Amino acid sequence: MVTWLQTFVRSSVGKKACMAISGLLLVGFLVAHLAGNLTLFLPDDGAAFDAYAQKLHDLGPLLYVAEVGLLALFVVHIAFAAWTTIGNRKARTSRYAVQPDHGERTVASSTMPITGLIVLLFLIVHLIHFRLDERFEQGPFDLVEGTLAGPIAALIYIVGVLALTLHLTHAIGSALQTLGVNHPRWSPLLRRAGVGLALILGLGFLSIPIYALIAWGGSN
Amino acid sequence: MVKNSTGLLDSKVPGGDIADRWDKHKFDLKLVAPANRRKFKVLVVGTGLAGASASATLSELGYDVTAFCIHGSPRRAHSIAAQGGINAAKNYQNDGDSVFRLFYDTVKGGDFRSRESNVHRLAQISTEIIDQCVSQGVPFAREYGGTLANRSFGGAQVSRTFYARGQTGQQLLLGAYSGMMRQVQSGHLKLMTSRELLSVVKVDGVARGIVVRNLTTGAYERFAGDAVLLCTGGYGNVFFLSTNAKKSNVTAAWRAHKNGAFFANPCFTQIHPTCIPVSGDYQSKLTLMSESLRNDGRVWVPKEAGDKRGPEMPPEDRDYYLERRYPSFGNLVPRDVASRASKERCDAGYGVGETGMSVYLDFRDAIARDGEDTIRSKYGNLFQMYERITGEDPYRVPMRIYPAVHYTMGGLWVDYNLETTVPGLFALGEANFSDHGANRLGASALMQGLADGYFVIPATIAGHLAGRKLQPVGTDDPAFGEAEAAARAHNERLLGIKGSRTVDSIHRELGLLMWDYCGMARTGAGLTEVKSKIAALRETFWNDVRVPGSGRDLNTELEKAGRVADFLEFAEVFAEDALVREESCGGHFREEYQTEEGEALRDDKNFCHVAAWEFNGEDKASTRHTEPLEFEYVKLTQRSYK
Amino acid sequence: MSTNRSLKLTLKVWRQAGPGAPGHFETHELDGLSEHMSFLEMLDVLNEKLVLEGGDPVVFDHDCREGICGSCGVVINGRAHGPDAETATCQLHMRRFKSGETIFIEPWRSEGFPVVRDLMVDRSAFDRIISAGGYVSTNTGSAPDGNAVPIPREDAEQAFDAAACIGCGACVAACPNGAAMLFVSAKVGHLAHLPQGQAERESRVLAMVRAMDAEGFGNCTNHYECSAACPKGISVENIALLNRDYLRASLLERG
Repeated sequence: MVTWLQTFVRSSVGKKACMAISGLLLVGFLVAHLAGNLTLFLPDDGAAFDAYAQKLHDLGPLLYVAEVGLLALFVVHIAFAAWTTIGNRKARTSRYAVQPDHGERTVASSTMPITGLIVLLFLIVHLIHFRLDERFEQGPFDLVEGTLAGPIAALIYIVGVLALTLHLTHAIGSALQTLGVNHPRWSPLLRRAGVGLALILGLGFLSIPIYALIAWGGSN
Repeated sequence: MVKNSTGLLDSKVPGGDIADRWDKHKFDLKLVAPANRRKFKVLVVGTGLAGASASATLSELGYDVTAFCIHGSPRRAHSIAAQGGINAAKNYQNDGDSVFRLFYDTVKGGDFRSRESNVHRLAQISTEIIDQCVSQGVPFAREYGGTLANRSFGGAQVSRTFYARGQTGQQLLLGAYSGMMRQVQSGHLKLMTSRELLSVVKVDGVARGIVVRNLTTGAYERFAGDAVLLCTGGYGNVFFLSTNAKKSNVTAAWRAHKNGAFFANPCFTQIHPTCIPVSGDYQSKLTLMSESLRNDGRVWVPKEAGDKRGPEMPPEDRDYYLERRYPSFGNLVPRDVASRASKERCDAGYGVGETGMSVYLDFRDAIARDGEDTIRSKYGNLFQMYERITGEDPYRVPMRIYPAVHYTMGGLWVDYNLETTVPGLFALGEANFSDHGANRLGASALMQGLADGYFVIPATIAGHLAGRKLQPVGTDDPAFGEAEAAARAHNERLLGIKGSRTVDSIHRELGLLMWDYCGMARTGAGLTEVKSKIAALRETFWNDVRVPGSGRDLNTELEKAGRVADFLEFAEVFAEDALVREESCGGHFREEYQTEEGEALRDDKNFCHVAAWEFNGEDKASTRHTEPLEFEYVKLTQRSYK
Repeated sequence: MSTNRSLKLTLKVWRQAGPGAPGHFETHELDGLSEHMSFLEMLDVLNEKLVLEGGDPVVFDHDCREGICGSCGVVINGRAHGPDAETATCQLHMRRFKSGETIFIEPWRSEGFPVVRDLMVDRSAFDRIISAGGYVSTNTGSAPDGNAVPIPREDAEQAFDAAACIGCGACVAACPNGAAMLFVSAKVGHLAHLPQGQAERESRVLAMVRAMDAEGFGNCTNHYECSAACPKGISVENIALLNRDYLRASLLERG
């Protein structure tokens, strides 16, 4: 058991699979996260959002289990990303004199390590804002309003989410390919669906800091 | 002056009914017991179809095999470029094919200058080759029902050609190569890449090793063994421009020849009718357009000499000269016939294109009949290749084609065991002379290479290994030292000339001489003349060639120079052979010997034999030995494709 | 064919004495080139000139010059095999270039392909990967009749599409990660589509990936530059197939 798993995670294909599986699960988390966040927009002065936060909070130990699971996914994803990126740098130490202006590479695909890093930094800020701040338990909605009303914070969120979106436009289709999903009939559709999901998530998350800037920014 | 000799060559052809000869011979041959095989070291030079299949199979049998190739990888051997297909007498199409018919067609196609027994064996083995290749995963074309597809090819009236799109050679070679690499993994086979043979080493008259140069490091290396297999291809590049790859050369065969192996029928060269014409002096090679194109393309030139209207010309002003001259075979006449007919039209001033040295191969009617999609699915990759090279779209404009040197039927003389006149030295595939006579039929080269490697040599090599008492020989034997010293001295001499001509410029000049005098039409006067021109060019080469760099390092110019030096010697025997063979047969067309209709006129009374040349030393005349050919099963007839 | 432009070019050619040695670009001017020349014929012209001027010719690998042996391959202005799709360097013709242009010519760059000299690289890693498992283990003489196992035409076609790989290494050269996945997957895909390849399907993919990783090639991050550079247009569908087979084999392999 241990041997094959070691072989697997050390292999190039295995590493990529670990990255893809953890990445897709994180996408699942993002979907749930966004669904919860969108309750912010209900015209009830944050009651639904607070209730949603409370529901999660009421899970008690289960919440910790979920959080540990999430943390593990991030760690796996980041660790394998770093591992493969270092390997890739080693496999190609010199660059060509001319960088062609066209090819199959996209902005998204060639900036995966950078957008990933930005998302990681953003995640830390995000956790400091809402996970590690004790005020969150008293009034989640108020804290969100209070935090995002500041233009700098809103800007950080906008940049973070944009990086995430760019990351995802390549990531979802790429993860499917890595896990062996490719069929001439379905792949173009799946690839577009992946980009679509990335854009939906991106627009969804972006809507919050933008809304915050417009609706709350002036009132502060 | 040519010395003549008969009766020396023993073909070792078994007697009895031709259909039983190969089985009988295999039974009569000595065997090497499985446990003893690992004690025998076999050196295989070349990793094309013949070399790769031999290496793989001999390793599977348990012999200690070392394979050598001049490329960085065995998969790059020139067999990879064969397009059309491979023949086999499977009769899957139920169209009346049989082993005997394939045998018959090949003997007749070779214009009665091949050995009946060898050809029959080839036809017998052909079916096993297909099975072998399928089991390796060669992706042959298939029918919708999943069975193997066939097409008719190059003058055959049955569909017996198996193919993998236009890349059959590639797929067959990759199959043989994969078999080789499997043996490398298992440790039975050692692979020596980027090595060029410089010398065959004989000890007590038996081939016991080789000296090679490591092309990457420049090091000279010695290898001893119990048998040496030359699978080093043909010598078409003596013409400089040919469809052969740039590295294809005569060096291994020629150096073996200079060390005792007779060279048979060097003048038998195949000029392929459908190649992309020469476009300029810078041209480095010619590209074949598969013969299969003639199944749907129609060959024509204008009816009026000098008519420059080109493809726009109305049908009534076109001369579909193959259909006119050969109504029953039409555009599908054998290669030698089609090539000569093109040359005849162009020489008479009917040629098309800027240079007037090409004819049209037109798909207009086929496209109108079957639709562009059908044509695309059959020939898409060839059309694409043509467009890349010429910049013209053959779906709109007819292709322009002209004959080019493609294959050499001549090669080292071998007996029925594929053994040369040097005991222990074998020649396989295009490197030997054995099966195609004076003209090779389409899709038969792949068949022969694989037959030799997969099935013939594994049986016949045992006769040598078990039949002769081979004393242990090491690379410290003085014979190795002498061979290496000679090879070194040869290269050092080339490096020391420091003249003013590049190797390529002299090779080009040799090619032009060969094309003009030893190409599609030869004359006694021309051949006599060209011999002295070749000798003069050889002088120029040795006095004025410029080979930069040193021999202790990678040196591509030195590699080329060594090969051209050998071509310059070989060319003279080529011309001599063409001169002495006072008849026309297959690819050898002497203008003095033709029928009233301009067809090849054989002289079976005087030339129904193999000519095998013996080297007698530098600047000494070679001896021409003959092996009489007997035709018991296929009656000697004038070939007719009318 | 009626036109024949003459080209004047500036070449920036990579020169490197050997593996690990420092390399540099050398500038050469060539004039009077025919547009009908192939790219390698243009290099031949350069080399003849260099030899006559007493210099060392540029070393580049080449052989068949008809796009099938896989020997040739240089990076031209940053593109493996140059600007044309599905075209090996030897099939690229000078009519693709404009007079006065500057052309950068470089070797394949990847840790898996050490430079031998100038533009020539050592691709023996590919042979080692094939020898790890890129075959059907069948001995000569043991084969059943060729028609004993019917193969659906579609499967044969797909197998062929993958088997068309010429092993030139452009996929590795074009990959920003120096990954060899397209090459390896082409062989895995070729045999996976055929009944003959099934017996060793799992062991093959495991062994070939192991060999590939050991050669120092990078990891695939699905840029698909490989397929864009491939002279035979091998599809990245094969990479997905390899991934699929590898996952299945890793999870389900016994022992």
